[in-house]
Amino acid sequence: MIRVSNLSKSYNYPNLVLKDISFWVKRGEFVYLSGPSGAGKTTLFRLLFADLKPDSGQIVIDGLDLARANTYRIAMLRRQLGFVFQDYKLIPNYTVFDNIALALEISGTPRRYIQKKVWRVLKVVGIERQIERLPPQLSGGEQQRVAIARALVNNPKIIFADEPTGNLDAEIANEIMQILHSINARGTTIVMVTHNRALLQKFKRKVFYLNRGSLQAYDWLN
Amino acid sequence: MPRIYDHVYPVFKLTANNIRRHPVINLISIMIISIAMLMLALYFLAYINTDRVVSTWRSDLKVAVYLEDDLSPESIALLKSFCLDLDEVVQLDYISKDEALSRFQVILGKDSGFLDDLPENPLPASLELLLDAEVADISTVERLARQLQRQSGVDEVVYGSYWLRQLFSLLRMVKYFGFIFASFLSVVTVFVVASTIRLSLFARRETIRVLYLVGATRRFVVMPYLFEGIFQGAVASSIALALSYVGFRYFKFWLQEQVPEWSIAPMLQFFSLSSFLTFLLLGILLGVAGFLISSRWLSRD
Repeated sequence: MIRVSNLSKSYNYPNLVLKDISFWVKRGEFVYLSGPSGAGKTTLFRLLFADLKPDSGQIVIDGLDLARANTYRIAMLRRQLGFVFQDYKLIPNYTVFDNIALALEISGTPRRYIQKKVWRVLKVVGIERQIERLPPQLSGGEQQRVAIARALVNNPKIIFADEPTGNLDAEIANEIMQILHSINARGTTIVMVTHNRALLQKFKRKVFYLNRGSLQAYDWLN
Repeated sequence: MPRIYDHVYPVFKLTANNIRRHPVINLISIMIISIAMLMLALYFLAYINTDRVVSTWRSDLKVAVYLEDDLSPESIALLKSFCLDLDEVVQLDYISKDEALSRFQVILGKDSGFLDDLPENPLPASLELLLDAEVADISTVERLARQLQRQSGVDEVVYGSYWLRQLFSLLRMVKYFGFIFASFLSVVTVFVVASTIRLSLFARRETIRVLYLVGATRRFVVMPYLFEGIFQGAVASSIALALSYVGFRYFKFWLQEQVPEWSIAPMLQFFSLSSFLTFLLLGILLGVAGFLISSRWLSRD
């Protein structure tokens, strides 16, 4: 599903942020990208959905070589991916419904299906009652659920989550993790960036551990 | 299978949202473009109407050829025939000394009594030539006057050279300086639109980032801003047209009240339907041009 080979990236050559990284993620897996601050997690994360271009190496997602793909192919790929961020990245003056519907509208989903699909994912994340509210009227946990709903609505093959629990208290963070794991249980591949060791211990999955730009080890934390 | 409607609808929805949810930015843009468009509209109105008035006056161009006293009827007939042979002359009237005197008496009205005490009629006979408006520009009139002046029996040729020269040079100035002014204003308007769109892009950079993240193509992201530029241009030029119409009506009324003897006011006209639509289109094109300049800020994928 995801294959990363000999990936390097620098913002200020020759200081490499990522050094010769190689790994792969199988279909249906749930993997963590972890490591201390400044290890290159976010850079790697952004490279994985073509928000950055690598200096060298290759990233292939679902058969598409990101370095060679044009912007149109990347847009088409992103329609098959879902994104969840620490700061939610919701449009503040769009209602919950509009935020989620936007992902469907962009992919040209017929209008008659949009309402039904939005409603279904809101039920999955448990905030169907907030459908007409604006993001600033919701709590952090609720906003993250909306972000997950938006990531889910196009039935993505992979969900990329960058510190999705970073802004949330422990109880809400657990709820969000349970939602992500239940999504993974239905077959969606999930790549999650986190430096929260407690979460890694509690929700044990494969971990790619980055330190100073190198992939030092990966292990099943069990 | 998605229909075209399913692709087009979200673009228009996004455009409407952009406009509705950022009223201040849009209002400022529309206001600035309206001011620039209003100045353009006033310039075009001034140019069109000056041209119309000058054309009307030109079609009324007369040259008076004053004759020497005691000219024989044969000499007068010869001069008449010479004038009528000129291509530029469309009409010729002979004003005898007596007729000139009676016209002068009419002009003087009740003050004309002193004319009766004169020992003889001091006014000369003349030929009044009406010129063809199509060919009667200032150089033609001057050449004609020189030609007539050389004829035997001609005392003086009068054609209002001073005001005619002023009028033509005024029109030329309005034309050339106005063109430079209008071009400058158009460029300013384009950059105003570009700056306001850029400002609004900056305000919505997070939204744009989200759009790209959820798989929007560049076209999907760009189109709402193009439509926004069209909307701003169309609304601003409509406002400019409405304001210039009000200003035009007021000016026409003022002219009629202040200087009715000039008879200019009835000649003045507002934009014709085609000029009106052209002006509206110009506003839209300026909006689009502004968008095109600022759209490279949208190329981030």
